Amino acid sequence: MSAYGYDAVVIGGGVSGIMASLTLASRGFKTALVSRGDPVCCLSTGCIDVFSHSDEPLGGIRALLPDHPYSLVGEKGIVDSLSFFLEIMGEAGLPYEGDPGRNRKILTPIGSTKNTCLVPRTMAHADMPPGEYLHVISFQGIKDFFPSYITSRHRNSTYSVYDAGVPTTLGIAARFDDASFLDAFITWLRGLEIPLDRVALPAVLGTIDPDSVMEKISRAIGRKVFEIPTLPPSVPGLRLFRALKRVMQNRGIHLYWGKGVTSVECQGRTVEAVTLATTGRAKRVQGRAFVLATGSFVSGGLFAGRDSVRETVFDLPVAAPGERKDWFNTDFFSGAHGIERAGVRVDRDFRPVGAKIDNLFACGSILAECEIMSLQCGHGLAVATGVAAAKSCAQELS
Amino acid sequence: MVVTFFHDMFHEESSYMIKTDVVIIGGGATGCGIARDLALRGVHHYLVEKGDFANGATGACHGLLHSGARYAVTDPEAARECIGENAILRRIARKCVETTGGLFVRLPGDSKRYRDTFLSNCEEAGISTEVLSATRALDLVPELNPSIEEAVVVPDCSIDPFRLCMLNAFTSRHKGGGILTHHKVIDIVRERGRCTGVKVLDRFTSQIKEIRAKIIINATGAWGDTLARMGGSDAPMTLSKGSLIISNHRLTNMVINRLRPPSDGDIIVPNEAVCLAGTTSIPVDDPDAIEVDPREVDLVATQAEQMLPRFGTTRLIRAYTGVRPLLKAEASDSRSISRGFKIIDHKNGMFSILGGKLSTYRLMAEKTVDAVVEEFGIKARCKTADIPLDGQDELSGYPLSKRLKGIDNIVCECELVDRAQVENAINSLGIQYIGDIQHRTRLGMGPCQGGFCTYRALGIMQETGRLTPDESIEILKHFLQRRFRGIRPALWGDQLREEQLVESIYLGILNMGQRA
Ligand SMILES: Cc1cc2nc3c(=O)[nH]c(=O)nc-3n(C[C@H](O)[C@H](O)[C@H](O)COP(=O)(O)OP(=O)(O)OC[C@H]3O[C@@H](n4cnc5c(N)ncnc54)[C@H](O)[C@@H]3O)c2cc1C
Ligand SMILES: Cc1cc2nc3c(=O)[nH]c(=O)nc-3n(C[C@H](O)[C@H](O)[C@H](O)COP(=O)(O)OP(=O)(O)OC[C@H]3O[C@@H](n4cnc5c(N)ncnc54)[C@H](O)[C@@H]3O)c2cc1C
Repeated sequence: MSAYGYDAVVIGGGVSGIMASLTLASRGFKTALVSRGDPVCCLSTGCIDVFSHSDEPLGGIRALLPDHPYSLVGEKGIVDSLSFFLEIMGEAGLPYEGDPGRNRKILTPIGSTKNTCLVPRTMAHADMPPGEYLHVISFQGIKDFFPSYITSRHRNSTYSVYDAGVPTTLGIAARFDDASFLDAFITWLRGLEIPLDRVALPAVLGTIDPDSVMEKISRAIGRKVFEIPTLPPSVPGLRLFRALKRVMQNRGIHLYWGKGVTSVECQGRTVEAVTLATTGRAKRVQGRAFVLATGSFVSGGLFAGRDSVRETVFDLPVAAPGERKDWFNTDFFSGAHGIERAGVRVDRDFRPVGAKIDNLFACGSILAECEIMSLQCGHGLAVATGVAAAKSCAQELS
Repeated sequence: MVVTFFHDMFHEESSYMIKTDVVIIGGGATGCGIARDLALRGVHHYLVEKGDFANGATGACHGLLHSGARYAVTDPEAARECIGENAILRRIARKCVETTGGLFVRLPGDSKRYRDTFLSNCEEAGISTEVLSATRALDLVPELNPSIEEAVVVPDCSIDPFRLCMLNAFTSRHKGGGILTHHKVIDIVRERGRCTGVKVLDRFTSQIKEIRAKIIINATGAWGDTLARMGGSDAPMTLSKGSLIISNHRLTNMVINRLRPPSDGDIIVPNEAVCLAGTTSIPVDDPDAIEVDPREVDLVATQAEQMLPRFGTTRLIRAYTGVRPLLKAEASDSRSISRGFKIIDHKNGMFSILGGKLSTYRLMAEKTVDAVVEEFGIKARCKTADIPLDGQDELSGYPLSKRLKGIDNIVCECELVDRAQVENAINSLGIQYIGDIQHRTRLGMGPCQGGFCTYRALGIMQETGRLTPDESIEILKHFLQRRFRGIRPALWGDQLREEQLVESIYLGILNMGQRA
């Protein structure tokens, strides 16, 4: 078995784990990040929901109970962590904008709007004043995107369909990376003589530099242009993930990707190392402190058995609501199911409660009481708790 | 057939009247079987069903074409009916029946004396049996619990209830019968105490239609008493709820029964790529207010696990429940109530057909139609046992090779249904309901249970102009709510994980939550 030693080892490569490792690295700690697979942000809109359940995220957060992870971070911590995120995205060449004081709107594929907080530039113009004219562009054969859903809900709107030669969002996005494809598209678009004011497309404007693609289109037709995030696989979700990964690499964080932690070694109240499943020899990664960011059920950080919920790496105590019949209420659309509160409970320093381990911290959607679905706070919570857990971890290390 | 349009003075909207000889209420196996029987005897009829075919117990059942062995000890008459019909259906409904064979397995602790009675009663009822050692049984079904004592082979089969209904209705339609699905009988027209017609609500247009007939046949299963009462009579029954679970693997190629007195959770039936395990038996009052209790799921899963251990670890994709329409009896345990059937002549122009089983639907239809033609004074013999179901040749089955053809435009990834199939279903069948598309194409029947593809199918439907965008979103919401009811009781493990993903898509990305 080969062994590698670090100051901090972050387990889980989602937004929370990535933000934790960037925080640790920025404070000079030798940091590794271990992840079994790609995170759920790849499936997301790419936008950072901080608290979409109300129009004012910080206002909504102030009203939360003290055991909500946001309450443990505190308002200043949340605002600072979001600024740090904006700074990172700038460095990555995929700038985001937005203000934690006020939510903004994006458009959904069924023509409804959705509150969110920080958005990539390609969605900045989605928050449009009522009455403006909207023209939607769709693509031949594209799955899960039906422009008539949008035009039927917008009084002043029309749509056209372009044949990109491929039907998948990822396929079309890859075509937009190619300048000659973009030129042909722009020529076609000009021929449509679209009236003012805005043009919306499914989020396929390239995988590498969507801002430039959008700018070029916008300049050519003299209209504001924006993207509508699609169902998974999601191009803006993938862009977000790739951008964050680039910054981690630039900042010297050691990545162990595609390998899950299969066992842990403890000495008294201290975790000393984790072992990774690899095709060849098992790998042992040593650290002085560990951050657990393995996500919730979708990523496998939590697992629901027939009658109880488990944490899958350290077998930490999990707070879960009663019996299985209490996990879900009968209304699909309420989102406020009991299972939304299941997870690892942490103290003010983001140490798991009842774990009997001193050098372990937890963050992200694995935390108890976060209610991501009903509060609509996925990425914001991941950013805020990732940074907060890393700060506590940094204190432990120094 | 005479169709007269007239303006009903008491209603705002125009309405119309249809005249026929017989109206059948209920599009389950029994109602559809009656329609075919009437068609083959040349009697004009209309069938009205409030949902799609197999909307009631027929679509919620286990899909076991009984050999009769299950009833050999407790209900010898039902056993004899079953084996008779079993042989007939294998002959006439080849494309609906999979001749899997069945095993009754005896686990340690299960009574040997029961097994002896079982064998002799089967012989008496004319049900063939063969006793196998545990080793030979495991050769046939490798996933069986290796500690079984022995197993008995019987001619049980797996049957597709939805197809069975469709094919029976096909003959009726072909011979000029009228089939109205998504039409609910809301009233029975009476003149001087006699039932002379039904008022039906077209659930799509909200139009009310009237169908006049000489005879009304009430084949509404668990709703039988409600309809009989609309006609001024009654049809007392005992209703018993049964719940089933579906695994996402076909863990056995044979039907598996437990060799013991009939009890909860002792049957597993393979069906296409999945297995159905069940059932429970709980008395209920209202067939419209039933739900699966998570404890029923646990009970059935635990029992199934004893016969096929992998049932304990496999992913369950859904649970559902149906209501058995049983003949009213004194006994309080609904399992010991006769599975036999009864035809009531209400002497007011209405006949009710009560009780029975899916396996004996044809016989039930035959006896009902015998009574009806006698009333008409017609001497036409029943032919349903001799002529194979029409329309089977056109059915290809669902071979994978065929399903893979349109691979570049797949709508449903789990069941490999492509856009052309969905469009074809919409265009040729004029389907307005998402459930209808699902029944006919298997869209949404796989592990994701329509979580991903229903949105897509509805998008296609509104693009074809069959639905407005708003209507299609409403239907989507309704579908998601109904789907959730089915999967909620069995949500754990991988199924829970996938459900969280589906929720994130609809409540997150599409913002369809209540606060939207
Ligand atoms: C379909 C979908 C759409 C969403 N859309 C939005 C949105 O638009 N806006 C928003 O703000 N939020 C959205 N969310 C919520 C948000 O994406 C998540 O809450 C957030 O990204 C969770 O981040 P995380 O870091 O906690 O965990 P995850 O992103 O789940 O990452 C956990 C990581 O840990 C890894 N891992 C798990 N087990 C191990 C192990 N044993 N060893 C090593 N690694 C392991 C996993 O492979 C994974 O990479 C969406 C969620 C879903 C499912
Ligand atoms: C859990 C369970 C498992 C079973 N397993 C098996 C098995 O494996 N093998 C077997 O042989 N039998 C089985 N049975 C029994 C079998 O399912 C039923 O006996 C049989 O399907 C009854 O068919 P039916 O057509 O009489 O009634 P149903 O299928 O219930 O049909 C009645 C129809 O009437 C319609 N209807 C009601 N009210 C109205 C109205 N006002 N207007 C218009 N239409 C109306 C309903 O929508 C429904 O479609 C099972 C039953 C249950 C509950």
